[in-house]
Amino acid sequence: MANKVAIVLLVCIGLVMLVAISELPLYGSPDTPAQNEVAERYVHGTLGDTGALNMVAAIVIDYRAYDTLIETTVLFTAVIAVFMVLKKGSTGKGEQG
Amino acid sequence: MGEFGSRIVQNYPYVFALALFAIGVYTILTHSNLFKKVIGINIMEGSIYVLFIAAGNVRGGVAPVLDLANSDLVYVHPLPQALMLTGIVVSVSVTALSLALIMKLYRSYGTVDAREIARLTRLGNEVGADVTSGS
Repeated sequence: MANKVAIVLLVCIGLVMLVAISELPLYGSPDTPAQNEVAERYVHGTLGDTGALNMVAAIVIDYRAYDTLIETTVLFTAVIAVFMVLKKGSTGKGEQG
Repeated sequence: MGEFGSRIVQNYPYVFALALFAIGVYTILTHSNLFKKVIGINIMEGSIYVLFIAAGNVRGGVAPVLDLANSDLVYVHPLPQALMLTGIVVSVSVTALSLALIMKLYRSYGTVDAREIARLTRLGNEVGADVTSGS
């Protein structure tokens, strides 16, 4: 029963999303809004700005270095949280006494 | 309808992302095993990666690594790929934390089934017995 409700729900949402997909710019066409001056800047400015050949690496490490820095903070927080959750003596049975 | 259909067919990567997203949501909604819920979340994240990378694609484009010998190449948009690298890190963090929480739940309740855990919690509240983790 729950499965059928979920399927009906997903089909409804999927149909709406299909309509949205049909309104999207065509896949791979060079004049979509995504291929604007930003892509142009990265493609033509990477070598002069950063000296890197790999644009993705240049964006991650140079253009958006602060993003990457905070990203390591996210990773660090996740690791600390995992250690806090799994540390010895924090199991349910251990805290009962 | 004809134009609608042809646009859908031409935008097939987005349709693929939509299908993956629906599979992920279905997995989360219908499985009570917490590990399978985590797998569903990861499938949904995968669909978002597909959507973003596809949105940055351009017909005939090559991977965004500069080729100095060949100056008239068309490169795909490098920004969505860099953003999805960030997304992968976040997804790994979320997965690690949720798996750790599931391990803790398993230690407390002896099961990874969400319905079973809810039942045990209700049982513990009704009887007043200490079935739950003592809190």
